[in-house]
Parts: sequence; C-alpha cells; structure tokens
Amino acid sequence: MSVDQMSSNSHGNLDEQISQLMQCKPLSEQEVRGLCEKAKEILMEESNVQPVKSPVTICGDIHGQFHDLAELFRIGGKCPDTNYLFMGDYVDRGYYSVETVTLLVALKVRYPQRITILRGNHESRQITQVYGFYDECLRKYGNATVWKIFTDLFDYFPLTALVESEIFCLHGGLSPSIETLDNIRNFDRVQEVPHEGPMCDLLWSDPDDRCGWGISPRGAGYTFGQDISEQFNHTNNLKLIARAHQLVMEGFNWGHEQKVVTIFSAPNYCYRCGNMASILEVDDCQGHTFIQFEPAPRRGEPDVTRRTPDYFL
Amino acid sequence: MAMIDEPLYPIAILIDELKNEDIQLRLNSIRRLSTIARALGEERTRKELIPFLSENNDDDDEVLLAMAEELGVFIPYVGGVEYAHVLLPPLETLCTVEETCVRDKAVESLCRIGAQMKESDLVDWFIPLVKRLAAGEWFTARVSSCGLFHIAYPSAPEMLKTELRSIYSQLCQDDMPMVRRSAASNLGKFAATVEPNHLKTDIMTIFEDLTQDDQDSVRLLAVEGCAALGKLLEPQDCVAHILPVIVNFSQDKSWRVRYMVANQLYELCEAVGPEPTRADLVPAYVRLLRDNEAEVRIAAAGKVTKFCRILNPQLAIQSILPCVKELSSDSSQHVRSALASVIMGMAPVLGKEATIEQLLPIFLSLLKDEFPDVRLNIISKLDQVNQVIGIDLLSQSLLPAIVELAEDRHWRVRLAIIEYIPLLASQLGVGFFDDKLGALCMQWLEDKVYSIRDAAANNLKRLAEEFGPDWAMQHIIPQVLDMINNSHYLYRMTILHAVSLLAPVMGSEITCSKLLPVVINASKDRVPNIKFNVAKVLQSLIPIVDNSQVVEQTIRPCLVELSEDPDVDVRFFATQALQASDQVMMSS
Repeated sequence: MSVDQMSSNSHGNLDEQISQLMQCKPLSEQEVRGLCEKAKEILMEESNVQPVKSPVTICGDIHGQFHDLAELFRIGGKCPDTNYLFMGDYVDRGYYSVETVTLLVALKVRYPQRITILRGNHESRQITQVYGFYDECLRKYGNATVWKIFTDLFDYFPLTALVESEIFCLHGGLSPSIETLDNIRNFDRVQEVPHEGPMCDLLWSDPDDRCGWGISPRGAGYTFGQDISEQFNHTNNLKLIARAHQLVMEGFNWGHEQKVVTIFSAPNYCYRCGNMASILEVDDCQGHTFIQFEPAPRRGEPDVTRRTPDYFL
Repeated sequence: MAMIDEPLYPIAILIDELKNEDIQLRLNSIRRLSTIARALGEERTRKELIPFLSENNDDDDEVLLAMAEELGVFIPYVGGVEYAHVLLPPLETLCTVEETCVRDKAVESLCRIGAQMKESDLVDWFIPLVKRLAAGEWFTARVSSCGLFHIAYPSAPEMLKTELRSIYSQLCQDDMPMVRRSAASNLGKFAATVEPNHLKTDIMTIFEDLTQDDQDSVRLLAVEGCAALGKLLEPQDCVAHILPVIVNFSQDKSWRVRYMVANQLYELCEAVGPEPTRADLVPAYVRLLRDNEAEVRIAAAGKVTKFCRILNPQLAIQSILPCVKELSSDSSQHVRSALASVIMGMAPVLGKEATIEQLLPIFLSLLKDEFPDVRLNIISKLDQVNQVIGIDLLSQSLLPAIVELAEDRHWRVRLAIIEYIPLLASQLGVGFFDDKLGALCMQWLEDKVYSIRDAAANNLKRLAEEFGPDWAMQHIIPQVLDMINNSHYLYRMTILHAVSLLAPVMGSEITCSKLLPVVINASKDRVPNIKFNVAKVLQSLIPIVDNSQVVEQTIRPCLVELSEDPDVDVRFFATQALQASDQVMMSS
C-alpha cells in the first residue's frame, strides 16, 4: 500500500471538518488543537519567502467576514480547484474570525500545495486582544484556549511569498533594514510580531506618494516611496509587489507606476465602509485579472435603513 | 435516567459550585440543576434546593436566565403536579428583576407550570401570584403580570374573573408605558380566554383605550392585536368595532403605526369580509401605498399581490393598479425592490388582457431598473407571467431585455437569467432558441465569475436533456470541446466539468469517441489542478463508458500515470479514481 493510499483514508475527518466550516460552524476546541498541530508541522517547513507557482489567485484582508470569504470562493472558485494565496489579516473586526481562520488553516492542512497563508499584522497576540478575535474566542468557546492555540500557530505563518520569482507578496510593505529577499530568508520568524525591526515592517509598512522612507502614522512600520519600490524590485528582479493592509475603495489600487498593487478582499469593510473587494488572478501565462466583488447578500440581515430598532422607542 | 449512575461526589461539587465565585461554574451547575435535584430526592429538593434558589436571586443575569429556564421543566423533580406550587416563589422573584430576558423567561416558565396545575391549585397559588405582581410597586412586576392572565383567568370563579378583568383594565392605563405595552401585546391571548359577552364590553373598552394611547409604541402593539381580536368577534361586531380603528390607524401621525397597518391590512380584510373591504379598506390601503414615508410604502408595496387576490380583478385594476404604476418609478429603490418581488404574482390575478396592457410596461421598466435587486426580483419570477400571456408575447416583449441582462454587471442577475434559460428553452423550442440564446450559453462558460461558469456548465446539461443528444452533438459539443484550449486554467477546468455533466446525457458511444480523447489529452496539462480534475472526471466517466476494453486500455493507463505525478493532490485523486475503478471492475 502506498503512502498516498494511507493518507487518502486519513483525510476523511478533515474533509468533514472543512465542509462543516464552509457552513460557518466552528470546530470543537479539541478539533482545533489537532488541526493546529498538523498546521504547525506544515508551516514550519515553509520559507520566510515562500515560493509559489502560478496560476494562483492572490487575496487581501478578510477580517472575520466569513460570508464574504464564502462569496470570494463563489467568485474565484473552490479550493483546491483554484490555487489561493492569502496575504494575512484573517481575524479581528468581523463577527466570524474563528470560523474564517479555522477554515483557512484547515484548507492549508488538507491542500498544502494549493493554498498559501501569510501572516498579517492582526495575526498577533497583542492586536487580537484589542480588535475582537480574543473576545470572539472567549464568547464562542467559554475560555481563551482556542485563542492561545491560534496565536501560537500564527508565529509559524510565513511572512512573504514569491510567485514565479516575479511577484513579491506580503501583508504590509518594505523595510529600511531589508535590501534583498535573502535578508528576509535569514531571520527567525517564529515569534510574536515585534514592535520594530524588519519583521514588524513587513507586516506594517505602507506605500506612499512621497519619496524615500517616512514615519508611519500607524506607529509601526514605515511609509515607502516609489524610489524605494523601484530599487527593491530592481535589486531582486521583481516585476511587482502585491500587498494588502490598506482599505481601497475599488478593492485594488495600483501605486508607484504599477510597481506596487494593494489588494483588499473584505467588501463593505467593518460592515460600513461601502468599499468593493477584489482578488487578483494570475493565470498560467502570467496574465493578471482583477475581479471585484460586493458583499454577499445576508439572509436575515435586512438593509440597514429598513426598520428602526426598538431601542429608539 | 442515565445520569442516575453518576457517582455522588460530583453532586456535592455541583452544589458547592452553585455558590462559587466564578460565574462560569455557577452557570454550569445551574444548567445541571435537574441532576442535583435527582440526587437530593423530591422532598429535599422542595425543602432545601428551591428555598435556596429563592433566596439566591441577586446573581448575574446569565445565571438568573438559566435558572428561570430550568425551573420551567422542574415539576417532575419536586414530586409531580401536586407540588408544582413550590416552584412559584423563585419564579415570582425572577419576574421582578431588571433584565427583560430573565423576566420573559420567568413568565414563560410560569405559564408552562400553570398550564399543568390543577384548577384548585391555580386558585390557591397562581391567581394570588398574578394579583401580587399586578399590584407590584416596581413596574417590572406589573409588566410580567400581563403575560400570566390568560393562564389564570379560565379557572377563576366568577367573582375573581370580574376582579381579574378590572385589574387588566387598570394595567392598560398604567402610568408606565412599558406596562401598557405589555398589556397591549398580551391582550389578544387574554381576550381569547374571556367569555363572549365580556369580550364585547370590557375587552373592547380596554382595546379602544389602547388604540388612543399617546405613545405610538403602545398603539403599534394595539394594531397587532386587531387581527387577533377580529378573529374572536362576530363579523358584524368586527366591522363595528375593529374597522373604524384600522381606518384611523392607517392615518396615524406616527409612521411606525402606519407601517404596522400596511403589514397587517390584508389579514384584516379577511376578518371583515368583502363588502367593508371594498368600501373602507381599499381607500385606506391606497393611502398607504402613497404614504409620505418610504418605509410605509415598502411594507404596503410588498403586500400588493396578496391584497389584490382578495379583491375582484376589476376593483384591483381600477384602484390598485394606478398606485402600482406610480410605485414602479418610486424614488426609493427599496420600494421598487419590494414591488418587484411580488408584482409578477399579479399577472394571474389580473388576467391576460390587463397583464398585457398594464403590467408588461411596468415589468419592462423594472427590468431596466438601475438597482440590481429590482431586476433580480423580476427575473426570478418570470415563469409566473408565461402562464398568463403565453410564451410568444413574452418573448417578443421581454426577450430583448433578458438578453441585455445576460451581460449584467452583477453576477447574481446573470445567474438568475441562466437559471431561467432551460425553462425558456423548453417553451421557445429549438429554432427560436438557437437563434437568440445559443451564443449566450457558450459565452457564460468564459465568465469571469466561477459561479456563473459552473451554472453555465449545468445549463448545457439541461439543454442537452431538453433537446436531445443529436441536437447537442451539433450545437453544444463541438463548441465546448474547442474551449479546452483556453489559455486560462480555470476556464479549461469549466470545460472538464461540462464534459463530466454532458457525458451521461450523450451516452457511451459519443463519450468514448468525442469526449474521452479530450479528457485524456488534458491529463498532459502543465497545471496540476487540471490534472487532478482529469482524474476526477475519468472516475465519473468509467460507469458511463461501460466498456471494459476502453477502461483497461485508455482510462486506467492514464490514471496510473497520474498516480505517479510529482504533485501530491494529483496523486491523491488519481489513486482515489483507480480504487473506484477497481470496485467497478470487481462488481461487474
């Protein structure tokens, strides 16, 4: 009996868990623990600059908006048929961080070759305690164990990915302490996101219209100008930097004369921003197609304007 | 009774935990109150546990809520129905707490217990409780009391009944609007238990007071009571008492009240009968359809078909249709959307002639509405119109608009069109279909959105079923197979999917000669995703091919090669397909 046949039997449970998660039903604490142990083994083998083959569909922030992630799959196709690369920020803000991140981790464990999940600045112990994931875990499981399991796993998520040696994908942006991709490959990423330094910058920085490095209004990372992007792309033989991290009204936004693109995949962010979401399909001939989408229609959640809630009485 | 085997020490722990400082632990032990009670036995439950709970009521709302719920099903643990009254004191206290959820649950549990109690026990224990609550100093008690009258009243002796009715009438005039609201919303339930002669006097007086309350939130609940009361009264009393109230409400100064009327009106029409409906309710409804507030028009527009159904067609055409015309160009998109969601149902009500002359132009304008929900609502119910006006007319007048929507910017609109195609095809017939819609069906296979491509593949299958394999061989198969060379892997995958759906319809011979070679060829694709989908498709083709020579010489060698692919997922799905084919071979 071959190894593949052995493994084909053991996927049964995982396939069931994935179909349960697809219905927005969370797993038990015990199941999450088992899943994350397997995920850790897979993720620790991945590089800080994880190589990814085309074709692949690149996606930005999700932020716990589970129903919009489901819409994303309705637009882009199901995993594993479509290959996906997510650039972080799966949790916080939305109501379904637990279901969202569990589903993505489950898909990673089931199809490690078909999906890549990078770390965003929200995949951190400190940030999730402020912006909702911690509270959600407490609410849904009655204790903080699941939060602990996930935030421990986040330390293993790769920081960046490189599609066909041409498109550099990461959550935030560049860092003044990083010149080459090898600089990134060399540091130890398995830790909480630090307050400063190269690892922090990759997850926090933003592109800017001004040249050179600037102080970020976020209080972490830097802003970087077109000159910086051009130099970095030239040094590393890159065509494009694809990143997420910032709300853009059309779902994607070119910058730095098409050296940088921002992709944001949470439509109507925080259920109120009114923005479109998008994903970027890189096909087998390296052609690029952006597909925009709107929030999924929500059953049982009528349009905001419909009825005055009772507390206005 | 499975729990009875649990060792005793956890019971001690549970009781301890009832007093624990950690709310989670207290909550757990409240949720297992029945276990504790079983361990204590009926007598100690009555004498120790219930009194303990009665005193222990300044806990967190969450614990109180759980307690209120548990006590509702506690009769078996205190020794059966004759001891049910011991459960009343703790619930009475819970009826007075600040938190509404806890009070509501306590009232629910009291009703549940009261419904099982003996008549004499109700008089001795339950009715006094209701009276105490109704006389409560703090409004929370009085709010709770309103929900208990319908349980207390039927078993009360005559004197007590008179008293209960008068207490209820006082509650309806309470100083606190919260109490009047509770009285208004429970009036229907209470009225159902009151004798007919008192109904017309006492209850109708109470009702009329509530309908003139200065708080719109109270009047709102009175509107809801209209339908319930209307059903209890004789039709002529209903016309005399309820109808004027409704007509007044439909002109209430608060839009929330008018909104409620708009939602409930058609139910009232049933209660009062056809003649008063024509005379009084149609004008009221027309006013609501033209209300200043969009919210009211939304509610009224959403009921337009239901309302028309209870009128005769002539009246509907005369009085309602002009308003519908206005609403179809309403300034609020939500009004138009509500109208679009029901307007197709008017076609059978109005009949062929009026539909063609009056409704079709409205459909057309809604089909071109700038708001996608409006368009979607029309398309998804087109079939209701087919039946009335026939397909020829529909295709002449609506088809151009439908073809335009096939390329709509919103994918859900496109999806609704695709899902309508098989029905349209079956009614239009082959010739017409080839002419107008054939190209569209192919175009959808290359849509940007996955769900559209998926639906397009399914659509082809249904068309092939409708028009038969010979037609499909000419009009679908060659075009589909051509697309396997698309440069985008996701579009090639759609074609593979379409092939697996078409194969069962086309049968063994065409599958072997036309479809299989294309699939086998795709196994050489450079993208692993295509390769493992080839494996899946081959697995599905094996039973259709139904030819062991083809399976042995063509399909299995291909799968064996795929099962040695460098990519783990390709190996997985190829191996799975091989195992499945082994099983097919063994069974045949």
